[in-house]
Amino acid sequence: MLGFIGRRLIAMVLTMWAVSFVAFAIIQLPPGDYLTTYMATLAANGDRVDPATIEALRQQYGFGEPYIVQYWKWISGIVLRGDFGQSFEWKAPVTTLIWGRLGNSILLEGLAVIVMWLVAVPIGIYAAVRKYSLGDYLATIGGFIGLAIPNFFFALILMYLSFIWFGETIGGLFSPQYEAARWSPGRVWDFLSHAWAPVLVLSMAGTAELIRILRANLLDELKKPYVTTARAKGLSEFRTIMKYPVRVALNPLISTIGWLLPALVSSSVIVSVVLNLPTAGPLLLRSLTSQDMFLAGAIIMLLGMLTVIGTLVSDLLLAWIDPRIRYGSK
Amino acid sequence: MKQFTLFGRAEGPSGLRLAGAVALTALLAAAGPALGQQQAPILDAMVESGDLPPVAERLPANPLVVEPVDSVGTYGGTWRSALRGGLDNAWIARTVAYDGLVRYNREWDEIIPNLAESWEVSEDATTYTFKLREGLKWNNGTPFTSADIAFAVELMSEPSYGVGTFIKNANNPVTAEVVDETTVKLIFEKPNGIIMDELASVNGLTLVSLSKDYCSQFYPKYNPNAAEEAKAAGFETWELWMANRCSWSTETIRFANPELPFMNAWMIEEPLTGDATRATFVRNPYYWKVDSAGNQLPYIDRLEMRVSDSLEEITLMALNGEIDFQDRHIATVANQPLFFDGQEEGDYRLGENIPSNMNTMVLQFNLNHVDPVRRELFSNKDFRIGVSHLIDRQEIIDVVFTGQGSPGQAAPRPESPFYDEEMTTQYTEFDPDAAAAAFAAAGLGEKNGDGFYTMPDGSPLVVTIDMISAFRAEWTDMMELMQLQLEAGGIDIELNNIDRTLYYDKRPTGDYDAQIWQGDGGLDVIQEPRYYMPSGDESVWAYRWAQWYLGSRPEIAEEPAEWAKQQMELMNQLRASGDPAERDELMKQILTIAKENFPVIGVSLPGNGYYIAKNNLRNVAEPMLHAYLFPTPGPYDPFQWYFAAE
Repeated sequence: MLGFIGRRLIAMVLTMWAVSFVAFAIIQLPPGDYLTTYMATLAANGDRVDPATIEALRQQYGFGEPYIVQYWKWISGIVLRGDFGQSFEWKAPVTTLIWGRLGNSILLEGLAVIVMWLVAVPIGIYAAVRKYSLGDYLATIGGFIGLAIPNFFFALILMYLSFIWFGETIGGLFSPQYEAARWSPGRVWDFLSHAWAPVLVLSMAGTAELIRILRANLLDELKKPYVTTARAKGLSEFRTIMKYPVRVALNPLISTIGWLLPALVSSSVIVSVVLNLPTAGPLLLRSLTSQDMFLAGAIIMLLGMLTVIGTLVSDLLLAWIDPRIRYGSK
Repeated sequence: MKQFTLFGRAEGPSGLRLAGAVALTALLAAAGPALGQQQAPILDAMVESGDLPPVAERLPANPLVVEPVDSVGTYGGTWRSALRGGLDNAWIARTVAYDGLVRYNREWDEIIPNLAESWEVSEDATTYTFKLREGLKWNNGTPFTSADIAFAVELMSEPSYGVGTFIKNANNPVTAEVVDETTVKLIFEKPNGIIMDELASVNGLTLVSLSKDYCSQFYPKYNPNAAEEAKAAGFETWELWMANRCSWSTETIRFANPELPFMNAWMIEEPLTGDATRATFVRNPYYWKVDSAGNQLPYIDRLEMRVSDSLEEITLMALNGEIDFQDRHIATVANQPLFFDGQEEGDYRLGENIPSNMNTMVLQFNLNHVDPVRRELFSNKDFRIGVSHLIDRQEIIDVVFTGQGSPGQAAPRPESPFYDEEMTTQYTEFDPDAAAAAFAAAGLGEKNGDGFYTMPDGSPLVVTIDMISAFRAEWTDMMELMQLQLEAGGIDIELNNIDRTLYYDKRPTGDYDAQIWQGDGGLDVIQEPRYYMPSGDESVWAYRWAQWYLGSRPEIAEEPAEWAKQQMELMNQLRASGDPAERDELMKQILTIAKENFPVIGVSLPGNGYYIAKNNLRNVAEPMLHAYLFPTPGPYDPFQWYFAAE
């Protein structure tokens, strides 16, 4: 097992390096650079900029250098000094911008994932065991509606309804008075009173998907002879279902835990914009449109890292939950 | 006690006005002590405890007296608004950061004293001498002197620092000379007739927003260790560290540093950092303006701006009465009925904004196309006349703008002294026959089987128009209608919706047929003549001629047509002239040439915009002129707005 983890760690480092190289290349692909967009913004405002000034800034930011040189500077800064470079737009080190937002992202997406599982697993099991019952149909209909409504649209509907019914504008994660405060019971309550909406929105489509996958897997599993054997031996219905069929049916869900976070971050960009959530999504979107490349690069890198770590975690979980995988690795 | 309205319209050179200003100043100085200065109640405790000097010591010897729009107000309250995303510096520029050496009056037809109580212009318009108010102080209590202005010029002259407006103009460099504590000279190499407009506009801030006391510590010239200190702070060069601490103009980062001294009515309380969800400003106890009763301004204690990525959220906040004054982002054509219907519920009112844009969209054919055949066609005035006659402007106005506005070309707005009805209305009637005649005169080839005209040599003619729908949502609808209209008249159109960066990157290549943009320069005619002559990079219709004029990219510059050269000649005279009347005359000549040559095609004059103000917010002017250079509501003195007690 230790050997397996060791091999995986080496592979992870190589993967990260590849991700960083590709990410940096992708950010550089669009025509122009940050200064082009900066000039465009100034020009749109009716401001005029001296091209010589822009040229001087270009030198300063090192935009003129070849790709490899720029990449090397960037990656060596990260690896050797933990320095992710400057955000041009914010005129500040990238590290001062991203941690808080990534933290919010992880907190919010984490809550969404937990809610998703807590809701989806019991419903999925119930829908499989009581196939074609009223409950199954309700779960199915609800699930399909949840899948069909786009996230951001659902968020808009929520905002509109809460404005019409309660005269409240939902948005953000905290009330102004708790915005900069330390964590306290009051702040936790304030956070929860704001966070329910984004968590509901973010977890809805995922929940629907989970229910369908779990139901299908479990139905396959319940037909198998060992379930019949277990029943014949007089095991309680609950244990019969929970002991093996559910564990096996969870397998595909567990193996994709690693993808959950990046998928949630990327799918939640628009939701975050609509609900004004201070997460990494809007920051990434903004940095990509303005070609603030070190900021975008850092966010993409960190998302890549989360994916890689998540995959490792899901493999370990799988080994724990599914004995067949454990024996295979020996 | 009337204030600057005394002068009426600016007629003569500024010398005359100067005399008036000086006389008035003397009057006010004499009246000063009798006015009995008041301060905001929230400052009382600080003065009592000795943390703050008394108001008389905080104010300059002759504070600027501001005539309230309606009535003398009361202190207190918080003005709530919203920023879209964390980099929305324009709204802060317009609400907080607009005080320069001089400013425009509320009618936007005259330059009036501000931090400078008077100024003099040399005969040859190369030397401008400003006299600052005596005893001005930064918000941290340190004196604001002519040294601060000289420092700003010095720092912004560094080739490696900042994006300067007039300070970095290579064609006409400027130096600053400190005469004494309150007198400073700006000395230009060549005559400069437009500097006062520059200083009165939103760009005037740079000159008065860098405290030498504070900012020189990041500058190797004054602090030999600046480079090491920058490195220690995590910045590669002193310039990057300086940009983070003491940025130029109204860059967003300026509002992320609470230590940076301010001269504005409000100062930073909660900074706008990268992860801030709101930014707040609090009254500057050293603000140097008083109302006509001698009360220190501003009236409003605090500004609270929610940082929101969500337009929907800001819109709902406004409907819910959670915004006290705002027009940016939310006051759109689409939202107007919504806000109109919600007035009672949200306890706010709509006020009128007059946009400075003279057109909803300007279609610019590329007169400098790299393909000689296309260049010849697009340069042909008859071709452009034909296209203009094919546009059914009324249909576009009815469908896209719910009937608001009127057909019009790219020409100064009706409110402008440069307004010319003929220039606005020529070739605007929808007339396919006139268009066909014009195309025949332009020598277009026969129509092909699809009913489209061909090139004069018979090859297919497809015009590709570049657009950025992301910048203005209504452009997509407008362009799609226009495409149908032009194709019905026999011109094959392709729409090319691209990203803004690419849009700018294409310009130097000269390889584009046409681009569209908004109608800048409706009120700020002299400052923004991009559609009237090839004045700069934004004159997309003649990019290479503009380079010839600017001298910035000789490798792609091309000698302009005779009429455009004549305009450039006139513009050079205008920029060197110190006499407003002469400048207006020269601008009229430039416009006449533009009218005759019809370089770009406009669609319609925009309908008036609106702002949202809470019902208890008083002294808000209406209507407001609205422009980037005239940073509304700044020129209407938000520091004299107040909340009426219910």
